[in-house]
Amino acid sequence: MAPSQPSHTPNLDKLIKSLRVQSLEASIESLIFLLKRRQVKGDECARATAQILRQVVAKSKWHDVDQLLSRVQSAGLRLTQAAPHEPVIGNIVRRVLGLIRDEACEDRNADDLGSEAASDIQSLAPTAPPPQKPALVPIRPAPSILTTGLQVSKSMFNLLSVADPGDTPMTGASTPMSQAQPASVHALRSEVMDGIEEILDEIHQADDQIASFADIQIHPGDYVLVYQPSRTVEKFLIKAASKRRFTVIIGSLDPPSPSATEAPYAALRKKLNAAGVQTINLASNGLMAYIPRVNKVIFGAKAVYQNGGLLVDSGSCIAAHAAHEYLKPVIVLCGVYKFCPEDPSDEVSQGALGNPSSFVSYGNGQAVNGLEIENTVTDYIPPELVDVYLTNLGPQTRHHLASILADHYKTEDIGFSFQLGEP
Amino acid sequence: MAGESNGAPPSGASIAQVAAPAPANEPLAATNPEKLTPAQLKAKAKAEKAARRAQVKEARAAVVTAPPTSQAGGAGADAKGGKGKGKQDGQLGGQGKGGHLHAHRPSVSGRRPSMPPVERDVRGGIPECFSHISMAKRIPLSQAHKDVHPAVLVIGQQMATFALKDSISRLRATLLAFRKVIEPYETPKGNSLSRHFVPHVLNPQIEYLTECRPMCFAMGNAIRLLKAKVNKFDIDTPEDEAKEGLLEWIDFLINERITLAEYVIAQNAAQSINDGDTIVTYGRHRLVEKTLLGAKKIGKSFDVTIIDDPYELGGQELATVLREAGIDVVYSPNLGGLRPKVAAASNLFLGGEAIFANGALQAPSGTADVAMAAMNAGAKVIVLCETINFDRERVSVDALTYNEIDPERCTAESFRLLFDNTHDKYITGVITEFEFGGGNSPAQAILALLRKQEDPLIA
Repeated sequence: MAPSQPSHTPNLDKLIKSLRVQSLEASIESLIFLLKRRQVKGDECARATAQILRQVVAKSKWHDVDQLLSRVQSAGLRLTQAAPHEPVIGNIVRRVLGLIRDEACEDRNADDLGSEAASDIQSLAPTAPPPQKPALVPIRPAPSILTTGLQVSKSMFNLLSVADPGDTPMTGASTPMSQAQPASVHALRSEVMDGIEEILDEIHQADDQIASFADIQIHPGDYVLVYQPSRTVEKFLIKAASKRRFTVIIGSLDPPSPSATEAPYAALRKKLNAAGVQTINLASNGLMAYIPRVNKVIFGAKAVYQNGGLLVDSGSCIAAHAAHEYLKPVIVLCGVYKFCPEDPSDEVSQGALGNPSSFVSYGNGQAVNGLEIENTVTDYIPPELVDVYLTNLGPQTRHHLASILADHYKTEDIGFSFQLGEP
Repeated sequence: MAGESNGAPPSGASIAQVAAPAPANEPLAATNPEKLTPAQLKAKAKAEKAARRAQVKEARAAVVTAPPTSQAGGAGADAKGGKGKGKQDGQLGGQGKGGHLHAHRPSVSGRRPSMPPVERDVRGGIPECFSHISMAKRIPLSQAHKDVHPAVLVIGQQMATFALKDSISRLRATLLAFRKVIEPYETPKGNSLSRHFVPHVLNPQIEYLTECRPMCFAMGNAIRLLKAKVNKFDIDTPEDEAKEGLLEWIDFLINERITLAEYVIAQNAAQSINDGDTIVTYGRHRLVEKTLLGAKKIGKSFDVTIIDDPYELGGQELATVLREAGIDVVYSPNLGGLRPKVAAASNLFLGGEAIFANGALQAPSGTADVAMAAMNAGAKVIVLCETINFDRERVSVDALTYNEIDPERCTAESFRLLFDNTHDKYITGVITEFEFGGGNSPAQAILALLRKQEDPLIA
């Protein structure tokens, strides 16, 4: 359907294609519009944010680390404000900020080395070239250790670097600075961009990495209830289907629209059926009736908060509650990039409201006039209902979430939106 | 096309239509008559249709070119004739054999090898793990047992099509139809009413009704009472007197257990609403509707949150009705955001289909989720239910023991159970027509009372 009509509706892929030609400001603006219209949502947000921040690093003017940080912060803030319902955006911004801090740290360290020792030291140790940040796989647990070790040198260098711009105009000795800065700026730029590339890779591979745990979680003969399967869940099921024979029960909140030509999730069901896995579409909101038959419940999350609570598409909450009642395990699939170092706000636990027109038509004047119609589209699931958080780093419990968060975000970036939001 | 593989009602006509394949297709179908995936079925149906069309075209062409004695034209006519005959055969066979247990089988005479999968389609689409659960089905009038009374035939159809849906309206219709069965009844010579009526007159009606849709527990209770009543008659009781007694008893039952019960329950429940309450309800239930309207009438001020089942949309009608009565209504079209919604509520009013001996409530699918959420959020969960709906013999611990499959959604593509089970612990109280303890007691207390009570209705 989509490819047949080269539609004029903007989408993420078009935006990414246009990134090279468009100016930075235009790109940011167009993503903000996409986010506001919810034409980019869910998992796409992460990718979009990373792409835009990559452009910010590449195209915007900055001369030192602090400028870069503030550029990224302000761009990130605009994006998060455009879509406050997508915490993933903030996560990516924090990741990039943390990345910049790390790179800057290493860079300065390298500079220190270079200035103190002669150039032959560098030639002696080519095995660990400081500018090339060791490709730490997507896990990236090392940075925190590195930074703590290098904290001192960083702060010392900070003195210098803050002083630098001030010195330059006064002394008029711009020649040495302009020689030194561009080189390090250039190096930092390419390192940060490499780092963002890694984040993009991580986002890209997360689904597959999660799927690789499928056959551990799903056993032969299982009845698996999946709720409104996202792409992550679909990949997971298809992967499991290649190894196991089980039955998938698909729940969803809303009935298929009368204009829909095929049953919901037809593509997924076809793939699963081809692999010998039975599928059943439930046409029901309530799930308590089916849970006794089910062995485990699987769904994807939009975000995981630091207390272990989940932001999900509404309805998954019903599944989680029902499963909890019958003591069936609830497995949540989510990439680590969805782990959010915040607590859920009140709005989150109330749920966001969506368009009610698919339930009560505008033609029904009486109802439109008299009724207050609340179509809740997101739900918050309290942590005690979740048994397993299956991430691209493997299965986790909520007791371990804090250390994952500590590995991925820097404390100074956690409240980045507040820092900028005040003035 | 989708309708055919979707378990469309097994009316003889639709079966005959699907099952009139071109002869050329039959061997193909016969090779794998057992297991056909929906996709295969669809493909097959498509092929058959194409073949049929081709045949008709051929025949037409033949008729045009050589009207009177064309070989091809003859074949085409044959095929059509065969189709018609098959349909007729089926109906005649159904009547002749009269066994309504096999009511739909004769229409699928063994003559056609491609038939079995089509026949299986009625229940064959049901996923294996739910195949033990019963389902309503439409039985063509012509295939019903000859002893079934016309009034019962009608309500049988209405039940199968869910025109009569909830337990009480089914019970009322059944009792009224039984009145019509009793009125013209004459005991054959050498027999007495108490010996003859139940096995020869009443049972066929009951069997037919069960065939159309599994009986609800209220019907089961009423029929048990009715049979007990008949058995109590002395053999020597004059027929007129016995009939009179039965008719009176049925009227009494309808009055006491349905009409008055409804009134009393609605009144009790309305009294339990306090000013400023937020009442949540799920879907549309007669008793809840009556309660809320009654409470408004006696001047209580409260507002209502209706949580609906998007597959039924009964809540929307209720919302409009309440709105017209001047009650503030928040309408939630599905179970999304359930937790915050019930957390803001003081009471959850639920209607029930039945209450089991262990206190579990059988109610429209989704009720259990709402009740659990409400209880966890600290709201009171109050069930409105007539005592005739209490089942004192069956115990149900999960919804897969006693349930029904929605005949409209009985395939893997779209599957739905009509009821679910709300555990005793998620029900604060049940309001029945019994007026003790404010009429607001846990289900177990009412069950205990029911058990102790010798049913006064039989005596």
